Amino acid sequence: MLNTRTDAVAAAGSYQLALQQLTDSALPTGAFAHSLGFETYIERGLVHDEASFGVWLSAFIGQQLTYSDGLAIRFLYDGVPLAELDPLLTAQLLPRQLREASTKMGTRLLEIGSEVFPSPELAEYRELVTAGRAAGHQPLAFAVVARSLGVPRTEALAAYLFAAVTSLTQNAVRAIPLGQNAGQRLLRKAADDVAAAVERVGRLAPDDFGAVSPGLEISQMRHERQRARMFMS
Amino acid sequence: MTAAVAAAVESPMGELELVVAVRGGRSVAAHQYHRGALRVLRPHYLDDSGQVCYVLVNPGGAYLGADLYVIDVEAGDGAKVLLTTQSATKIYRTPGSFAEQRMTLRLGEGAQLELAPDQLIAYREASYRQNTHITVRPSSSLVMAEVVTPGWSPDGASFRYEELRLRNEIHVETPDGTKMLALDNLLIRPPLNDVTGMGFMEGYSHLGSLVVVDARVDQALADEFHALTAGHDAHTGVSLTACVGGTTGVVLRSLSNSTEELNRLLGACTALLRERWYGQPPLNLRKY
Repeated sequence: MLNTRTDAVAAAGSYQLALQQLTDSALPTGAFAHSLGFETYIERGLVHDEASFGVWLSAFIGQQLTYSDGLAIRFLYDGVPLAELDPLLTAQLLPRQLREASTKMGTRLLEIGSEVFPSPELAEYRELVTAGRAAGHQPLAFAVVARSLGVPRTEALAAYLFAAVTSLTQNAVRAIPLGQNAGQRLLRKAADDVAAAVERVGRLAPDDFGAVSPGLEISQMRHERQRARMFMS
Repeated sequence: MTAAVAAAVESPMGELELVVAVRGGRSVAAHQYHRGALRVLRPHYLDDSGQVCYVLVNPGGAYLGADLYVIDVEAGDGAKVLLTTQSATKIYRTPGSFAEQRMTLRLGEGAQLELAPDQLIAYREASYRQNTHITVRPSSSLVMAEVVTPGWSPDGASFRYEELRLRNEIHVETPDGTKMLALDNLLIRPPLNDVTGMGFMEGYSHLGSLVVVDARVDQALADEFHALTAGHDAHTGVSLTACVGGTTGVVLRSLSNSTEELNRLLGACTALLRERWYGQPPLNLRKY
């Protein structure tokens, strides 16, 4: 009994700290430079306080993070080959800046991952990118590392989504600006949306991939032409 | 539901096959087949470019539950095809099921395909899936426009349908295999979310979409499309896809409150392409 428990703790411990490192907002992937479209709403005056950012964040979790990032991570855990998934994500991310954000952060994650959590799967992904057969997307790079560390699917999904939400919220705190406590209240509320998204990702069908709402996509596209901006996306 | 869908798969409500080839400088049908509730009007030529115009007709007038429509169109090497509809695509109630259209489009070397259907209207309690699978060559030219309305219900309220799925896959046939260029997937499920709000329809009712795939697509063209949006009462985004096999896509998405406004905007963009690339006048279908 005691042994089993110790083993369980040890097993969880084997990836728990690694997962914390991977999802820490200090991980230098450049997430601080991306609003993934919310800066367009700030410019239009539609996102201007805690409540209005919360509305955007909730839509972003329920749409973008569910139907694109989340589902891509699930497909990888389901065994869909990277050589198929990576071009699928490139084709689905129609707003150019969103696609570039995903591959910029993905490429950094591949580099960092190769140094700190190397695995044959990760090496294979890097080779695909080097050979020009893959672009190196953030959710896939994360999923490859998480799976190689033995992180179960649900936990990997929740960790990825919440890390994305944390970066975006920190960026909103700087950009709107909001108080630090407002940021923490937003994160607590977003945790429920993340839990719902993780559950939903598990139930979606392959044809659901990329079904992101037009409003979010238009804001991401319009960001390309925004004059004054803090963020790259 | 599964049984109803299976039945539909075995026997589509309507089928249409069309292969267009170049004969004597004009694009003509090399193969044409239709069955059930789908047919095309006699082909006509709107200008002297040789582009053939086919008008899709659904004699039943609307799509109903478990109806499956299968459309297969090939524009052979150098062929120029315009595909439109006789009237709006209407989806009526589909209780416990959904209506579906599966369209496969293939464009040969140097082929030009312009897709300009009328708007889509889903009635109360309607579910509809539209799957479009497109294969182009790097030298093909594809222009597809689409307008989705908030539907129609007896009490005048919007978004009373159950679900709309419009999924477009665009692939490029290159010397090293077929590669995906764009996956454009739209899912609107009014009972599930507040589809009108921020991040969804942004307070607008109508959605317009234009996708152009051509080796001549570049950032300058995307900027020109953006400049054209200025004179329109619509909230619009324009962006480029990745370049695959030497060809690129430009995607324009627009939200507005009327079909006419979106048609004007999409029409202004396609008019620019028609003049510059094909030496054709703006599209005038004169349906009324």
